[in-house]
Amino acid sequence: MSKKVLLETRDLSVAFGDKLALDRVNIALAENEVVGIVGETGAGKSLLARSLIGLLPPGAERTNGDVWSDGRALSTMSPAELRNLRGGVVSLIGTNAKALLDPVQPVGEQVATVLRSHRRLSHRAARQAAVKLFRQVGITDPESRATAYPHQLSGGMAQRIVIAMALVAGPKVVLADDATLGLDATIQVQVLDLLVERCRTEGLGTLIITHDLGIVSQYCDRVAIMKGGQIVEQNDVSAFLAGPQTSYGQELLKAAKVRPTLIKGDGDGDGETLPKVGDGTRTGPKSSPLLQIRDMVKHFRGRDGGVVKAVDEISIEIGRGETLALVGESGSGKTTAGQCIVRLLDINCGEIVFDGKEIGNLPASEFRAMRKRIQMVFQEPYVALNPRWRVEDLISEPLSLDETVRSAADRRSRVLEMLEAVRLPKTLAKVFPHELTAGEQKRVGMARALATRPDFVVFDEPTTALDIRVRAQIIDLIRTLQREMGLSALFITHDLNSVRSLAHRVAVMRYGKIVETGDTSTIFERPGHDYTRMLLDAELPIERVAEKDLMGAI
Amino acid sequence: MSATMTPAETPHTDLSATSDLGRFLVRRPAALIGLTLLVLQILAIIFAPVLSTHDPMQANALRSLQPPSWENWLGTDVSGMDIYSRIIYATRINLLISVTAVGAAFIVGVPIGLLVGYYRGWASNLTMRVFDFVQSFPVFVMGMALVSVMGQEIWNVAIALGVLFTPVFARLIRAETLSLRERSFIAAAKCSGATDIKILFRHILPNALSPAIVQISISIGMAILLTAGLSFIGAGVRMPTPEWGLMVSTGSQQMILGIWWVSFFPGLAIILSVLSFALIADAARDFIDPRRAR
Repeated sequence: MSKKVLLETRDLSVAFGDKLALDRVNIALAENEVVGIVGETGAGKSLLARSLIGLLPPGAERTNGDVWSDGRALSTMSPAELRNLRGGVVSLIGTNAKALLDPVQPVGEQVATVLRSHRRLSHRAARQAAVKLFRQVGITDPESRATAYPHQLSGGMAQRIVIAMALVAGPKVVLADDATLGLDATIQVQVLDLLVERCRTEGLGTLIITHDLGIVSQYCDRVAIMKGGQIVEQNDVSAFLAGPQTSYGQELLKAAKVRPTLIKGDGDGDGETLPKVGDGTRTGPKSSPLLQIRDMVKHFRGRDGGVVKAVDEISIEIGRGETLALVGESGSGKTTAGQCIVRLLDINCGEIVFDGKEIGNLPASEFRAMRKRIQMVFQEPYVALNPRWRVEDLISEPLSLDETVRSAADRRSRVLEMLEAVRLPKTLAKVFPHELTAGEQKRVGMARALATRPDFVVFDEPTTALDIRVRAQIIDLIRTLQREMGLSALFITHDLNSVRSLAHRVAVMRYGKIVETGDTSTIFERPGHDYTRMLLDAELPIERVAEKDLMGAI
Repeated sequence: MSATMTPAETPHTDLSATSDLGRFLVRRPAALIGLTLLVLQILAIIFAPVLSTHDPMQANALRSLQPPSWENWLGTDVSGMDIYSRIIYATRINLLISVTAVGAAFIVGVPIGLLVGYYRGWASNLTMRVFDFVQSFPVFVMGMALVSVMGQEIWNVAIALGVLFTPVFARLIRAETLSLRERSFIAAAKCSGATDIKILFRHILPNALSPAIVQISISIGMAILLTAGLSFIGAGVRMPTPEWGLMVSTGSQQMILGIWWVSFFPGLAIILSVLSFALIADAARDFIDPRRAR
């Protein structure tokens, strides 16, 4: 370690009352180094980031050790010195950039304010410097963007501006705390590329806090795995990927790699494959697909009176027992399409044929009879559950659609059956949603959708907002359910990882249109459309580093 | 359909709720004070004949404007009526008017708010404009107008206040409904085949009710003040009915003569009564949140 250490913690412990939240954390960040901290929700990652800049949340107290910067402990610094440390030496970039920007001030103005206070520039010079910075962080047309308000920018653009702001004062260390959470995969890659490149060219120490091992393997030199407030493992990224030393590290890595088992067309019963589609072979003529969508159109009236074509003449077919993945970035119209199929939205044109019956233009009262067979699992695990209902009531609600389940005893047994199907203990029947973890909430949502034993289920982003291991468990669960219940499904997602191991076919959607459809293997091996290739490139597969290392060795 | 309504109707009525409330109150002394004051008022209502020392409406010219003494604990007013006994009896009138008015406003306002928030059409807009009209008058002026049209009876005061408070509840529920109807658990309920009635009353209402329940206490406090205010300016209850505002009003002329007790004690009763409901409202806001740590 010849490099100069910029920021380090020595045996740092932080507690909330009696509860230890950080337990003897030792981590060092040297110049020109990118370190990744990985852990699941509640591991103490964000608390560590806040400790590093001496901004503990209320109620938290340092009980042991300290943070050292440039040979000095943070606890010995005066408030003025601490202020200088934050922003001057260490910059923190947080999640949700839009919330970090002042909504009532143009972004150029905001950056100029920071510039003026740090570099004592004149008004005019500061504004020019801001525009220059915008250009450096890859903002196209920086002059006009500088006059924009935060709400006029996309999430990725706002995150770039926050990065620009963080770099203004010429810090030595940049902390990125889940800085790309909630951004589309392609944007996430652009933002991280930019951040890491800027840090490397200026020789900064960079700490990337994330729950995504893909990001770590792509960008970091070293990785620290956090669990329950402790750093359980710390190693070079290549060494970690080659073989984690702890079982927890192995578990995380395995969970992150859950995707690579590409489904083969016809399963040979090794448990890793999806059930065959229909009764016959997949290549045979599909006698009648379960769901056919023809030229479906859904328009919204925009605020300015214009028309937003959310879904623009799409046509999809899904066979019996088949899973189709609808992939696209946010705003591509994929969720709107899903909501049209379950008739949460009325379509403008086109038709939806389900099991030989046209349902897209049925009056709502007649469609009700079909609801039992067509269900949807909603995106956000918590907000899709009525917070005042108990789990058993949530799961049994759709049973009013099922005339075979009438008595209270029947309902109760169906609820228990569903809890078992989604691998939840029976004891959870009596609890409220807020008492569950995100993964459990997701399972309850799935149990509800499956309660009427539907033929077709729309899964809207089933794996977002979940920790890696939980995500892997949910994917496993869906695969099992597909096999056990013979479901046909539409899988709406931007997470290509999950698609690979779940869907028979993939449809790629952009700007309300389907740009490419094909078998999953074909799409992944030979993407036909540029946009599909872009989506694939945005993936951060863990294997890539291994390949990179191999290439380097050769 | 009735079968779907049975299980676990209301999460908060289970047996553990009482001890839960106890633990909550221990941590919230302010709530405890509010509750104690409320209990005292209820006791005053029930046991007024026992607690009072005189007939509250018995004038006695010989004992006019007596200061507090063993005979008249809180003194007497200009007609020689016992202030202590009148304050005790006035609790009945004041709380009766307030609780009736707010209860009626709640029962009428909540369903209107639900419907207006959930179905958005010309009828909803019209209803909201009517509410705008009612609320655009200063509360007091509107109250005076209604009472003077309908006559100065106790029930008319209650009805007038009820009319004034209905838009408050309807608006609160409407605002909650507007945001709740867009939430994905409502979409999930639609997918589960829930009818509009069920979505309104089983999904939206329980989640929209918290602010309205808090508003009940706030409104009762306001209603007490308004009742007193209307009586004070002569538009409310008439003498010799014991009513706090009226008592403050009759004593106000003697105030400058140093005869303070005639107005002071009923005024204090108003303050404590309003305070009790304010404290309860504050605590209720926290207590009904299901996410509160148990």
